[in-house]
Amino acid sequence: MNKFVAMVGTNAKVSTNRTLLQFMKQHFADQAEIELMEIADLPLFNKPENSPVPAPVLAMAKAIDAADGVIIATPEYDHAVPSSLMNALEWLSHRVHPFVDKPVMIVGASYGSLGSSRAQAHLRQILDSPELRARIMPSSEYLLGHSLDAFDDQGNLKDADKVAQLDGLFKDFQTFVTVSGHLNNAKDLNQKDTKNFDWNKL
Amino acid sequence: MKLVGIAGSVADKSYNRILLKYMATHFSDLADIEMLDIKDVPLFNESDDQTESDAIQYLKRKIESADGVIIATPEHNHTTTASLKSVIEWLSYKIHPLDGKPIMIVGASYYDQGSSRAQLNLRQILEAPGVNAVVLPGNEFLLGEVKNAFDENDNLKDAGTVNFLQSTLQKFVKFVTVINTMKHPQDTGAESEDLGATGKISTTVEGVDMAAPDWVEQAAEKTHAASGNDYVKLDRGLLTVDQLNAFLNSMPLELTYADSNNQFIYYNKMAPAEKMLAARTPDQAGNPLSMVHPKNPRVIKHVKEVIHALRTGQVPEVSMPVPGNNADKYVVHFYRAMHDEQGNYMGVNEYVQDIMPTVKWYLAKTGQKLEGNPDATTSASVDDAAPAADTTSSASVDDAAPEPAPQAAPATDADSSASIDD
Repeated sequence: MNKFVAMVGTNAKVSTNRTLLQFMKQHFADQAEIELMEIADLPLFNKPENSPVPAPVLAMAKAIDAADGVIIATPEYDHAVPSSLMNALEWLSHRVHPFVDKPVMIVGASYGSLGSSRAQAHLRQILDSPELRARIMPSSEYLLGHSLDAFDDQGNLKDADKVAQLDGLFKDFQTFVTVSGHLNNAKDLNQKDTKNFDWNKL
Repeated sequence: MKLVGIAGSVADKSYNRILLKYMATHFSDLADIEMLDIKDVPLFNESDDQTESDAIQYLKRKIESADGVIIATPEHNHTTTASLKSVIEWLSYKIHPLDGKPIMIVGASYYDQGSSRAQLNLRQILEAPGVNAVVLPGNEFLLGEVKNAFDENDNLKDAGTVNFLQSTLQKFVKFVTVINTMKHPQDTGAESEDLGATGKISTTVEGVDMAAPDWVEQAAEKTHAASGNDYVKLDRGLLTVDQLNAFLNSMPLELTYADSNNQFIYYNKMAPAEKMLAARTPDQAGNPLSMVHPKNPRVIKHVKEVIHALRTGQVPEVSMPVPGNNADKYVVHFYRAMHDEQGNYMGVNEYVQDIMPTVKWYLAKTGQKLEGNPDATTSASVDDAAPAADTTSSASVDDAAPEPAPQAAPATDADSSASIDD
């Protein structure tokens, strides 16, 4: 059974993106082991030159390293990914690089009808950068609009079509993780490249 | 033109900060660029609202009083930085100081991309409805390989780069003028001024009717106010209340204090109302500003604009000659914003003075006379349509109004009332 880290893409105490991941954890319990990961405890990234990587960042990197894949749920603030998620990804690409070649599935929920579409496109662009180099599942999008009305009292998605869509995408993600495991010819080089990547040596 | 510069980095060393500093010093003839620090702004968290914190209020104040903003963004992971995005999130959550504000984006990066993706991304963020800034189109300034771009004195080495940056800034300066001219008067936020003083500030005396004719007595009793021979410690000196009154009432100015809650709380009662240049009566002290002005919507709108311009720092002072001035009398109302040591707005200091005796005294002492200047423009800018422009109403010695230096008063109709009090 695959183990996935489910990253809550906001530091807000209440978020329908967290609800969505909690739903996935329980809904897919017989297919995969999903562990939620919070990003609220990280300091603001300031490109520290010599200080050690903060302990919460190391713990997150370790958990991602150990996982078969990562699911990220992103809200949308100002047509983009929230700064708290950008901040987490900055830490997770500075001296630690757990995302290299890691399969990632992007989902998102929003109060309005668009379901965080622009934030998801933004997140793809970020995860494609040289110090993250994640393997984002292609041609897939899970946009949950009107998220305040999307769940019942037990935290279950009410709309059967939306559930079916998520079921399909999650199955695809499992396959994608398997396929991704075979795409390993450049893996060593990628990891070496990223590790040795140094802006100061350009 | 007053611009503020924000470098999108909280790192100790930032080439984007160096780039903005270079612009500020090197192009000071084009614009006055003040650097704003975002170091103390916490990471945005909607569960822990810090909108009222000093770091964010400082940015709000500075941005609101600037004509435009220049943002220099680094690029982290193909996008702008979390620290800059966080600032923009704070400035689009409960407050919206970037709304309608002209913005120019520049950026520097170690590699040859020069932050191209971060800039594109920043544009998208700034155009989100909660931010609603007006970003200068085109004119991308991408400074790649930044480690080799500056000399040891932090000056840009390449002349072509300097010229391009200068021409871009010149275009932005024009852009700022155009955008700010287009702004509808109601967009100034002046409508939000509460002349009824229904709010409350820390000095508001609660439980006393502002409309009461004896508000001063009631409020004094409630606050156990000092009076008579009680001493008051001042910056800088020590006076009794009697001494303070004698001092203020002998000023050659009519002074009025309207606090930041728009309550009229003091005037120096130097003369009975009928002998004052701008009449005030003892029962008016304590009134909300709405009570001491006529209900004419034009007047109300104008008063709000003046107060709001002072509150938001658009102008430090507004001066308005009253109608009916002549060769012997030239009464001017001056309105000046007051601030505490932290720069927080404390209200309006209004002083009214007939400046003609001073002018005449000066002419007599120095053996000069007034002379008309046919080239003099009475109205300096679109923002200066104060009634002062009405030269026909003033017939001075040589038929030229000795106007005080035009202040950038907020847009007003030329035929609107001259004074905040009439």
